[in-house]
Amino acid sequence: MILRTAETVDAQRELAAIVGSENCIVDPAELRVYECDGLTGTRVRPLVVVLPATTEEVAGVVKIARRYGLPIVPRGAGTGLSGGALPVENGIVIGLSRMHRILEIDFENLRMRLQPGVINLDVTKAIAAHGYYYAPDPSSQSVCSIGGNIAENSGGAHCLKYGFTTNHVYSATVVTSDGDVVEIGSPCSDAVGYDLMAALVGSEGLVGIVTEAVVRILRTPEKTCTLFATFPSTDEAGNCVSGIVAAGIVPAAIEMMDKLAIEAIVKSTGVDWPLDVGAALLVDVDGVEAEAEHTAAQAVEIARASGALEVRTPRDERERQLMWKGRKSAFAAMGRISPNYYVQDGVIPRSEISLVLREIADLCAREGFRVANVFHAGDGNLHPLVLYDGRIPGQAHHAEEVAAEILRICLRHGGSITGEHGVGADKAAYMGEAFSEADLESMNFVRCAFDPHAIFNPGKVFPTPRLCGDRAGAYVPHATEISEQAGRG
Amino acid sequence: MIADVPIREIVVPATLDEAAEIMRARAARGASVSFMGGGTDLGYGNSPERVDTLLKTEKLTRVVEYAPSDQVVTVEAGLTLGALQKTLAAENQRLALDPPRSELATLGGLLATNGYGPLRTRFGTLRDLIVGISIVRADGTVARGGGKVVKNVAGFDLPKLMVGSLGTLGLIATATFRLHPMSERREWHAVATRSLRDVRTLCRALLDRRLEPSAVIALADANACATYVLFEGFGAGVESQGAKLREVARDLFGGNVSRVDARGGVDAAALAEGARTYGNVRLRISTPPAFIPSLEHDILAPLRSAYRECRVVLYPTIGATFVGGFPREGDRFVSALEGARAAAEAARGNLVVVECAEPSLRERIDAFGALPDSFPIMRRLKERFDPNRRLNPGRFLGGL
Repeated sequence: MILRTAETVDAQRELAAIVGSENCIVDPAELRVYECDGLTGTRVRPLVVVLPATTEEVAGVVKIARRYGLPIVPRGAGTGLSGGALPVENGIVIGLSRMHRILEIDFENLRMRLQPGVINLDVTKAIAAHGYYYAPDPSSQSVCSIGGNIAENSGGAHCLKYGFTTNHVYSATVVTSDGDVVEIGSPCSDAVGYDLMAALVGSEGLVGIVTEAVVRILRTPEKTCTLFATFPSTDEAGNCVSGIVAAGIVPAAIEMMDKLAIEAIVKSTGVDWPLDVGAALLVDVDGVEAEAEHTAAQAVEIARASGALEVRTPRDERERQLMWKGRKSAFAAMGRISPNYYVQDGVIPRSEISLVLREIADLCAREGFRVANVFHAGDGNLHPLVLYDGRIPGQAHHAEEVAAEILRICLRHGGSITGEHGVGADKAAYMGEAFSEADLESMNFVRCAFDPHAIFNPGKVFPTPRLCGDRAGAYVPHATEISEQAGRG
Repeated sequence: MIADVPIREIVVPATLDEAAEIMRARAARGASVSFMGGGTDLGYGNSPERVDTLLKTEKLTRVVEYAPSDQVVTVEAGLTLGALQKTLAAENQRLALDPPRSELATLGGLLATNGYGPLRTRFGTLRDLIVGISIVRADGTVARGGGKVVKNVAGFDLPKLMVGSLGTLGLIATATFRLHPMSERREWHAVATRSLRDVRTLCRALLDRRLEPSAVIALADANACATYVLFEGFGAGVESQGAKLREVARDLFGGNVSRVDARGGVDAAALAEGARTYGNVRLRISTPPAFIPSLEHDILAPLRSAYRECRVVLYPTIGATFVGGFPREGDRFVSALEGARAAAEAARGNLVVVECAEPSLRERIDAFGALPDSFPIMRRLKERFDPNRRLNPGRFLGGL
């Protein structure tokens, strides 16, 4: 139920004055597009969606929101899988998709300055011809945006060797909940003070709105070797992963697909992978040519010794891209084998992959569900896909419960409730199982330092609503703060 | 004493529970608390306003959990990096971090000061290696962040936030790190560069030839400049990179490249560490890497003249430069530092941080220089974690 009072009509008029009425969406039919993100099962219609084009416009919108007491939900490309961009009823959604310019490419210092709406893959596309790339590569990279990646600390297949978004962003221009524009981080090697970038990246839209970011770019490795190996079951594939790591190899990526995932991928993309296998691994090793070739040869040996049925290496770059296309289209491919599916994202210690996969298989069998697994095996980041039929009453809910139980399995094995999809709206309820009250309180300290008004993305990440009002005691300022030498930088 | 400030009381907890108990008790009586690990960086930052209690972590040295097959280790904060590396070496693994004085420096101290060495080129800093943390907050509450898996986006990233916080947000009690395999081979090579311009040209060429050094160090006198390059990995890769480096150096400078870590050779890492720990007043200059050719004229030369004797070492691929030595009389040094800071700021926000200074100088300079415009957020962060400003008060940026 959307409240349209005289006050909200005033707010809308002011918002339209800033971004232009064509970028201020209030029409219910048009608002439908923004009712959810990649977590499509939950929908909320916002009061208004604004699409600013500049940092100043974003700041102006935030100031109006503050004045009217309207909560703000920032939104990138809307591809997130945890409902991080799920609107708040009677709130404003700020969509950053119009801010999609690449502002600066600095090959000398290996940096790029970007607006938040730039699509992840477009960053690499802009520099690939010069022999550079941007490392974080979430599977949705052809549609997801850098701003969303920063909010979610997005990973991807190749973060095993190269790290996550948080390891690749130097600094950001941020609009705070006061509507101020603040630079966070530093273009230099070291910033002074607290590492606010650490807090900003992965904060899921709860601390501010990034309107520009300086990211790190890398030289494309001299050589990348890919191998595709099939195994009788996920046990042998798991042993192969452990073997590669134990040999001192740091692969760029190791992806595992089980029988059901392979079936879906083959049906959907037409890759010529065998169907009579229990699991497959897709491995990238990269680096200087001699190193990559040496480690690739070693990995092939380890795969054979681990009981591989077949080991393939692509004949050319086209074939290599095809293998990766198969892997990256896995989620979408599930439509070929099931009317609906629920994607889970949990993490376990790498050495327990076989054990945990068996526990998950047992759980799903017991509950009457099929489960497909396609995941980042190198860092133990599981993506079990619980397959269900939404036409059968109660099945969607039941599948969700099974998926929740999978998270508890991950926690019991010393893992995490999310490796890359974020907590968002979807997993806020499980944060209390993963963290203590004191842990969550400390996280809330960080949020409140950025957004004392708690207007950004309320209801996300934290299991129960939290305000920023209460403080343990009166703060005792330092002499330089009183004399106003400090704090005005 | 810490930087001339007397210490009223020293406590040495034997367990984490005891540490939390001490924190609660000091909170009850409003005592300020500072923390000390190996004491290798006590000169870092501004002088604390007071030190009612100094909590030493020297007995908190347990390896809490080590899972070699997961390449993850959890340790108590008082463990030295050297001792940790010995434990890890038995499994052919390491924490990819090589700050000065690693035999003495503790993981807690390194986290608090964001200590790093030349391996940063390839492996980043502790923020890129830490995956979990537990802290004791000012009121004695124990809180955790992150976990013990390398990939984890559940909640705000407390582990990274604690890196470089200089004991002002809480006591770092335990930390969990991701590990790397030990390399089959590592080779240091010396390249005959003559100037910082040469150093920069070399770094650029390494990048363009797709070489992947683990570390690059340049030792820069006023008139000479020697560069050392470290390659690590499997034998085949290290050998081919060494060969390419020789080609690059010949093409660029007509110069030689020599293996320096063979028997009787030069220990490049030790040389660099010597420079980084030299003298009683040390500075760190952070710049974008491409600024390095201008560094000598704009910043280093005026600083050199303010030292009676000094050494300069750079990590040129990162843009970090360290100057250490014995300064001339105070006025001259203070104005040289101010000049360097102004020049640095003019050149796109470069930073000059005082890593260590003698007490008489400390009173006249701020260790961190100008405040960033994000300082109000930092102050609010401090207010939340330490509302009574009892943790290492005055030591950090802007009097936090």
